[in-house]
Amino acid sequence: MVDSSKVPVSGAGETGADTGKAERVWRAGGLDPMPIRKLPDAPPAIHLLGPTVFLVALGVGMGESYMWPRLVLVFGPEIRWLFLIGVTLQAVVMLEMARYAMATGESIFTGAARVFKPLMWFFFAVAILVYIWPGHLSAGAAAFEEITGIPWVLTACIALVLVGVVFTLAKVIYNLLENVLSLLIGTLVVGTAIVASLVGSWGDLSSTITGMFNFGYFPSDAMSSTWFPIVVGAIAFAGPSGMQQMWYTLHLRDSGAGMGAHVPKIRGLRHASEQEEMPARGFMFDTSDPDEMKKWKGWRRWVTFDALLLFWGITMLVTVSFTVLAQAAARENPNVRSLIEGGDRDAALNAMSDAFASVGGSVLGGVFFGFIALIGLNATLGLFDSFSRGQADMTYFFVPGAKRFKISHLYAFFLWAVIIFGILILNFGPADGPSGVLDILAFLSTFAMGAYCVVLLLVNNRMLPKPIRPKWWSNVIIGFGAVFYLGMLFYSLFRFGVVVS
Amino acid sequence: MDTTRLLRLGELALPGLVVGLIAGAVAGGLAGIVGQPIGWALVSMLALGVPLALLGGAYGLLAAFRKVRIGAFAPAALFWLVGFPLARLAHEVLTHLILVGEPQLPPDVLGFLAYQGIISAGFAIGFLWLHERIAPRWWRRMAPHNPEAAEIYAVYAAYAKHVYEQRQARRRSRGRATTQQR
Repeated sequence: MVDSSKVPVSGAGETGADTGKAERVWRAGGLDPMPIRKLPDAPPAIHLLGPTVFLVALGVGMGESYMWPRLVLVFGPEIRWLFLIGVTLQAVVMLEMARYAMATGESIFTGAARVFKPLMWFFFAVAILVYIWPGHLSAGAAAFEEITGIPWVLTACIALVLVGVVFTLAKVIYNLLENVLSLLIGTLVVGTAIVASLVGSWGDLSSTITGMFNFGYFPSDAMSSTWFPIVVGAIAFAGPSGMQQMWYTLHLRDSGAGMGAHVPKIRGLRHASEQEEMPARGFMFDTSDPDEMKKWKGWRRWVTFDALLLFWGITMLVTVSFTVLAQAAARENPNVRSLIEGGDRDAALNAMSDAFASVGGSVLGGVFFGFIALIGLNATLGLFDSFSRGQADMTYFFVPGAKRFKISHLYAFFLWAVIIFGILILNFGPADGPSGVLDILAFLSTFAMGAYCVVLLLVNNRMLPKPIRPKWWSNVIIGFGAVFYLGMLFYSLFRFGVVVS
Repeated sequence: MDTTRLLRLGELALPGLVVGLIAGAVAGGLAGIVGQPIGWALVSMLALGVPLALLGGAYGLLAAFRKVRIGAFAPAALFWLVGFPLARLAHEVLTHLILVGEPQLPPDVLGFLAYQGIISAGFAIGFLWLHERIAPRWWRRMAPHNPEAAEIYAVYAAYAKHVYEQRQARRRSRGRATTQQR
């Protein structure tokens, strides 16, 4: 084996022009070096859909459909400049997450372990603490109860078992999930556009959009101990929150993007015997070869298109639409305003539905709940898969002895563990987590976002060859992200004694 | 134009037509579930669904005959920038005509069209997203008896084959590397 790195200890260096017969490698950090392999060609424009569908499914949730419309009703559309900052920051984070995953075929968790292994274990623990609680099921299942009358706990339990069975029977989980989520999100996007076109008006839309450019607007009420943590939470939950961006690197790998093409896909438990052996580390391409660099630029174009149009565009569309809907509802029924401002989510969603019913016929009330249920279903499918994928990845590569199992077995173990725990908690415990630790969970979720910005800076600037490292402006934005998330979190904690809400 | 030709064109247009109809059905399809008068739901569904379905079918034909770049967003966005506001205008006029008895334009038609034009960008993303999922599979089914469907499907198949060959080549190289390491 020949080490092509010129500075092997730190991992910084070039995939140089070593032409010896022995295998060339890229040495990065403390883990096994990555063998040099060919980078596949980037897909042409025909390949419209990518793994961004997972990020959209996870990211478009209560933040977009409830939290931001609420802030707009309380503080006016001008507050939306903070949403613009939050989502744009997340789009850049997405591009940087993709940089490492596409260049190496490794997840960002492995990247973190290359820098300093305890960083990876921190995220392993945070994922378990934050994401085993089935509270995210409640809004969607409650909306389904509004339409059908079926008790929400029953729906949630059935949904949990169904998700488990489907993911267990799937031959390749990624392919199945990408197809299902694509159809669900396509329907959500088309439907949201239609409903916004029926209910909203030019005035609502223009105030919502122009409000996004009122940079610096921050009313004094927003600085109160009641609202500041809510505003911070809403910014952190604009687009994907918590660890969702980190899981995106696993979906990129399974979609075969960049060097992820050299890594086998995860199979469902029923097809675990067909699971190919996972390589012990990722791969690197020859960054000194102009042809390879040309292909790399093609991949960057592809993921940039995904980030801007699909992720940024759809997240914006859904939030703008729901904000327009909330404004129309509040105009129609002043009671909605007080309910939404009051913070009772279920009452507010009910009132919004009633208001739509009086604007566009009561059908729209049902349609509204249909969308909330759809958003809940997308998030549940995405979260369960992502959680299991992330934990299985870290366990397989870093828990001693775990390689005795196939990665499909580990995936199935985490999937069914979280499902069984979820069913028990839904029936016998607090769905969001014990009230005593709710603040800690909210803190960890936002802290993880600041932490992954720091990890991204370290991983992309120290573990990748120089020609494919991020540009200075991208580093500045990610650095700003770290300061933004951690700064707001700690300011809220020390100034008001409250973590994000 | 003979019947066979018309049928073949219909087959090419069907995926776009279905997506347009699904979008229209959103406005009225859930009515049955929430127990609303079926007549109201049907009028709303058809008055919006039919114009969107016709336009969706037209887009499918443009894609099938390669008049627009398949899978690309810009042509779809331009198409719906014009088409979506027109469909919504037809929806407003037709709904009034059927439910009230006389057609009526929305107040401030220009503002209405401008608003719908902006919303059309979101609709275009969703439409294209669904169309690209459904159309290639449908065209493959039609290919044996519809030369134009076969032709457009061949474009998708060529891309899929290219991806498959790349994957096979990688598998082979992975297999060789493993053998060498042993």
